[in-house]
Amino acid sequence: MQGLEVGLLLWRAQLQMFLNQTIRSGKPGRIAGTIIAAAVIVLAWAWEAFVTWLAIQAAHRVPVRFDDLHLLSLAFLAYTAVLVFSSLVFSFNALLLNPDLDLLLAAPRPVESILAGRMVVQVLRLFLLSLLFTAPALIVLAVANHNALIPFGFAALYLLYPVYVVVIISLLSLLLVRFIPVGRGREVLTLFGVVLALGINLLNFLLNPALRDSGFTRRSQAPSLPDIPVASAPWLPSGWAGRSADAILSGNWLSAIGWILPLLAASAAIFVVGTIISGRLYLAGWIQAVPPRRRQAGSARGRRLKGALPLIHPVLAAIVVKDWRMRTRDLAQLVRFAMPVAFLFIIFGLRFPRLLGSIRSLGEGPAAAMLGLIPAWVLLFSLSISLGLTAVSLEGPAIWVFAASPNTTLRLLQGKCWSTALPTTTVVALLAVIAEIFIRPGWLWAATAVLLAIAQAATLTILMVGIGAVFARFDWTDARRMLHPAAAFIGMASFGIVTGASALVLGISLALASATGFPEFTTWLAAVTVSIGGAIAVAALGVLVGNERLRGLELG
Amino acid sequence: MNFRLNPGPPLDWGAVLSTRLLTKRYGSLTAVEDLDLEVSAGELFGFLGPNGAGKTTTIKMLVGLLRPTSGSARVAGIDITAEPERAKAKIGYVPDAATLYDKLSAREFLEFSGDLYHVEPRLRNRRIDALLKLFDLSERSNDFLSGYSRGMRQKVSLAAALLHDPQVLFLDEPTVGLDPQSARQMKDILQDFCKEGKTVFFSTHILEIAERMCTRLAIINRGRLVAMGSLQELRHMVGQDGQSLEQIFLELTGSREEDVSAVLRGLES
Repeated sequence: MQGLEVGLLLWRAQLQMFLNQTIRSGKPGRIAGTIIAAAVIVLAWAWEAFVTWLAIQAAHRVPVRFDDLHLLSLAFLAYTAVLVFSSLVFSFNALLLNPDLDLLLAAPRPVESILAGRMVVQVLRLFLLSLLFTAPALIVLAVANHNALIPFGFAALYLLYPVYVVVIISLLSLLLVRFIPVGRGREVLTLFGVVLALGINLLNFLLNPALRDSGFTRRSQAPSLPDIPVASAPWLPSGWAGRSADAILSGNWLSAIGWILPLLAASAAIFVVGTIISGRLYLAGWIQAVPPRRRQAGSARGRRLKGALPLIHPVLAAIVVKDWRMRTRDLAQLVRFAMPVAFLFIIFGLRFPRLLGSIRSLGEGPAAAMLGLIPAWVLLFSLSISLGLTAVSLEGPAIWVFAASPNTTLRLLQGKCWSTALPTTTVVALLAVIAEIFIRPGWLWAATAVLLAIAQAATLTILMVGIGAVFARFDWTDARRMLHPAAAFIGMASFGIVTGASALVLGISLALASATGFPEFTTWLAAVTVSIGGAIAVAALGVLVGNERLRGLELG
Repeated sequence: MNFRLNPGPPLDWGAVLSTRLLTKRYGSLTAVEDLDLEVSAGELFGFLGPNGAGKTTTIKMLVGLLRPTSGSARVAGIDITAEPERAKAKIGYVPDAATLYDKLSAREFLEFSGDLYHVEPRLRNRRIDALLKLFDLSERSNDFLSGYSRGMRQKVSLAAALLHDPQVLFLDEPTVGLDPQSARQMKDILQDFCKEGKTVFFSTHILEIAERMCTRLAIINRGRLVAMGSLQELRHMVGQDGQSLEQIFLELTGSREEDVSAVLRGLES
């Protein structure tokens, strides 16, 4: 009971913090953001309700039969995967990163009640999220089935179902943190996220019948459900929840309660036992069990890196080297580099021979040269957004180090432009060159295409640095908060506008050549020049606006 | 311990820091109001005040991190608002609970700091070695700062602030988090620093340290300067010779023991 009490206390505190940061903040921007978010949720709800209604109407007219029980059990099994992921992230965050655990553990309450309180908060959060996502569909189902109790029945399932997962994962986390060195929590979480993302994709590929064929051919057979019979097994929680949900939808309340009861009993038992064990695990010693790793002297590589930047101002070189170290030593940051490359390999690499053949069939010319830039363009989009927009915010609360030094904000921005544009342009140029070598669209076309790729990589990344400076955040403690949502939105839109305008200019140049009989390469070169010039102008404007914004801030 | 980074001739001794009607407002809240300070070269100047009195805000204005709402401040003869870059080159700053770059080692952080202050690389490296040795950080100089304790981070911050051989050193609560040996070492370093004709301006809550170290003191309360002078002058100001700095401080900032006792008695009942 004490755990429940602590959980409700924590929940109230979190709600207060949420309200203080939104509608009670007194800041017009935040209040507007809250109103916009609420409007988006209402719109999404309306859309969900409409789609559910359409699906119900379609089900009445087209007799596609699914095994409802199996479908619902599968849904709960899939939900289990979501629960495992979110619970692990939440538990690791709570144990390794959030500073408030010490505060709570200092309170005169049993350790078990604090840890149980954490679990209660997590269950409540998942319960509300489930309702947030499915409430409109449940209400439409209640109206369609003339059964007003359907949403309440599902709410009971949403409240009970996460309990066993949250408790087991919390216990596992308590065990795991004993083996994680101090200060490595974020890296471990990131690695875990990557592994889980790849694992879920692989499982989806193996189990989802829709992915078994090539994905391009027309299906000859009717759609079927993933064949995981264990999902609806009567001895698994997903089977209990699935049966109960099926009974709720068909109005068989006796059966629904009958299947909720084992879920309730198992949840209560696991919660009580888990709480006791978690207390024991905590008292046995935990997070400080592994000492931090000692580092060997490693500045030789840094010196080499710095030696490679002899032409730029020493302060700019220092920022480039420092940022490189920060990005490459923090796994969470490194993933920002690595994941786009990995996904690019998955998207293009696995289909490489077929794609290459298709593009080569276009013959020599600008079309083939530009199509060859698509992988570089995808990579540029990803890197410029993830690196450029966060370049200034990367400083975080340590911004005082720069702000107290005898340097202008423009110099900081210049350093940030170098530190992001250099790696982005290098990688994009490399990819563009490789693509053009394989495609062989004619060396002149290839050279201009690579030139365009390099110029756009540099200018767009610089533009993102400027936008990132306008929306810079220095008060973050969690690196995920570095990127301002407005910056992401404006950055993506700007990227689309600049590259779209560039493509339009190039397209017009080709059309002009064909209409006027001008040499195609001449109009093409003119278009490339205009495109690069325009991108440079936009990037310069971005940096100037970003600098004005930084100058207006009190960085300390 | 004699700490000299730049064994050249001593600087001109004279007013090195002065503020005139320095004011900082955040909306309706006045953090610092009409502050007039004057600190001479070679002084170890203590800046005292209760929590929320405006000490950190004042220091941040003096090092160019915050812009004054009105008034002016000159450091080493340079207006910090008009020529911030030129003034900052003469300043070393150690903030309260300094946030550093966790994924850099102490040596790398100092290298970065030296580059920001335009210290020539060979001189910078020589000074880094000397400072790491001075602060007993040599052995762990290649460890990431994320693994450093608060006191060790404080030492790294001080090392970074000294690296470019500043003329004025600003420290915000410099002894918080330091063990007694390190606190003593810091006091020695600051006193040596002042002997070279350079100036230390520091805020502290630890009145005992201020009493023993400072040549002159200023006490600020609710954003306003309530007293400034040597300890003897402050004693004279409150009219009771022989009083400790703690008594003077409590007298000038209006903290009354009987109020505290009454509140504590109320808590018991």
